[in-house]
Amino acid sequence: MRRIRTSIFLYCGVVLVCALLLFPIYWLFVTALSPPDALQVLPPRLWPAHPRWGVFRDVLAAHPILLWLGNSALAAIGAVALSMSVSVFAGYSLSRFQVRGGQSLGLFILIAKMLPATLLVIPLFSIFRSLHLIGNLWSIVLAHSTLIIPFTTWMLKGYFDTVPRELEQAAMVDGCSPLGALFRVILPVSTPGLAATALYGFVLSWSDYAYARTFLTNAQGSWTANLGITTMKGEYIINWSDISAASLLVALPILLIYLFLERYLVGGLTAGAEK
Amino acid sequence: MGGIQIEHVRKSYGSLEVLKDFSLDVSDGEFVVFVGPSGCGKSTMLKILAGLDAATSGRVLIGGREVTDLAPGDRDIAMVFQNYALYPHLTVARNMGFGLKMRGTPKAEIERRVADAARILGVEHLLERRPKALSGGQRQRVALGRAIVRQPAAFLMDEPLSNLDAKLRVHMRVEIGALHQRLGVTTIYVTHDQIEAMTMADRIVIMRDGAIQQVADPDTMFRRPANLFVAGFIGSPGMNIIRAPLTGTAGSAEVQIFGQRVTLPVPGEHLARLKNPWVLVGLRPEHFQLGPGAVTFETPARMVESLGSEKYLYLEVPEANRLVRPDQPGAGTIVATAEKTNTSEADRGATIIARLINPGQIAQDNAVRLSFDPANLHVFDPETERAITA
Ligand SMILES: Nc1ncnc2c1ncn2[C@@H]1O[C@H](COP(=O)(O)OP(=O)(O)O)[C@@H](O)[C@H]1O
Ligand SMILES: [Mg+2]
Repeated sequence: MRRIRTSIFLYCGVVLVCALLLFPIYWLFVTALSPPDALQVLPPRLWPAHPRWGVFRDVLAAHPILLWLGNSALAAIGAVALSMSVSVFAGYSLSRFQVRGGQSLGLFILIAKMLPATLLVIPLFSIFRSLHLIGNLWSIVLAHSTLIIPFTTWMLKGYFDTVPRELEQAAMVDGCSPLGALFRVILPVSTPGLAATALYGFVLSWSDYAYARTFLTNAQGSWTANLGITTMKGEYIINWSDISAASLLVALPILLIYLFLERYLVGGLTAGAEK
Repeated sequence: MGGIQIEHVRKSYGSLEVLKDFSLDVSDGEFVVFVGPSGCGKSTMLKILAGLDAATSGRVLIGGREVTDLAPGDRDIAMVFQNYALYPHLTVARNMGFGLKMRGTPKAEIERRVADAARILGVEHLLERRPKALSGGQRQRVALGRAIVRQPAAFLMDEPLSNLDAKLRVHMRVEIGALHQRLGVTTIYVTHDQIEAMTMADRIVIMRDGAIQQVADPDTMFRRPANLFVAGFIGSPGMNIIRAPLTGTAGSAEVQIFGQRVTLPVPGEHLARLKNPWVLVGLRPEHFQLGPGAVTFETPARMVESLGSEKYLYLEVPEANRLVRPDQPGAGTIVATAEKTNTSEADRGATIIARLINPGQIAQDNAVRLSFDPANLHVFDPETERAITA
């Protein structure tokens, strides 16, 4: 009896949390599907009387959203690729090698992350200007990497800490070099950790606005999705329906990636390495 | 094929000296067991042999070839780990063939050798499975298989059985023994379990705090322990140690034990130089007999444990024979080895264990009449803890 009561309690908690987290997305839907004038009505309707399903097609026709999405994807993929190739080695080293000052180095990386992005925007801007990267997607790739690398390095260090050292020792006895052991054994075994970390970096890059706004504003062809959407705000009228529809389209890829990677994210691939 | 020479290997982590001048000559095909309490440096020595850790100084030769500075993969050794360290992302067949593949062995040859090894170990039906779909015993076999397909000059095994349950452990102990008989590959086997050491080894190396205590075959190790530590470590339960006041050193040495004058099996002049007027005397639990004999005494049995066919009697030691003060020479070692038996530190001095086969009824706290043969006594110098022999 008590067990049932506990699980009812737990379920209620889960439902409550989900409702809280999902409400903004639900409201985005309602806003997108309602005709603009219906949004001013009080009290607000929980579901529009005549949902305008065509709004997505109209928004796609009116704005270069696909181009923006493509730019966002390019920037995120580039930043994740760069960050992962740096932090795989950094995280592995922090996890395995006891170097003098290794621990403070690790902490230093984190401190770099504690600085707010807005503080870094101006120095980065002047660096990129002298490199002639302003308006170029590469500026975003590099800027996002400075955000992502501290996170991914620490996430990967934490993951590598859980991989038994005996695995690479066995690989080395079997004839691998230390790098060979990393690539042939440790990385394949760490796929769940790598996937989760990469996804995290991807989301960080995808959700950026400040950097894109600073480095790309004058280059329309390079606008990322978040930057593009803010330009849909007119000077006198704000079409909340269109903006909501576009926002949903921008959130969709992340959702799809989560669904696709789910089986890696649950982990469990290392089971069986040990007793 | 080849033996292993370890020459003056030392290893320190900072100021912590983990191995102190370790030298050993292992001949071709020998099965040598490193045994000692946990933390004594067994794994460290094995890792230095494997090339996974570098010695602070000293040399290592495998198959007559100096390998001190070679990478693990170039040493022609295979290793079995305590947690097996199977590659979780590879099938059993690929786990076993991985080392050959890394050496560029042709595919057909790999398949043949993996199949051979799988047949020897009885894991043929598991070849396409992943490690996580295997039981503990099966993983253990695959780990052994991964070592034998390589046909290396030596096997290094670090507590390979300690993750198995007791029954399977005994079984695999026999299997590893048979495998060694069949393949004849030089093997160094690390364990903290003296029973494993005694049953499997051609030669045992007993270690304590990074230093070798004695190197000998199991029989010699049991009958002629070189020092107090070895005496306490080997045997189950370990040797009883009591303090014996010297009553005479003219001619043969004489001490007082359980109120009896006992002639020790060593000449008196060996004891005349000692600083103390007493020695440490060891007697194995199985060397007591019920009833009268060469030296007969009577003492209360504080506790009687019955294991069916045999009984353990915890005999009260007279005050004169107790190791009362923990700072007394030798007491530290006795305590260090006493953790094997489940007597507490204090009990160890006040009681000793007699192991009797089919003794019949013995009531607790009653005096029992026992005897022993003084030829079975071991004598130790309390200062150096070394055995004093004739
Ligand atoms: N990487 C290391 N850094 C510092 N001390 C270590 C390291 N590895 C082992 N030790 C120490 O060396 C000693 C011997 O360890 P080990 O060889 O694993 O013992 P055993 O295998 O006999 O139980 C222990 O005291 C252990 O704490
Ligand atoms: Mg060990």
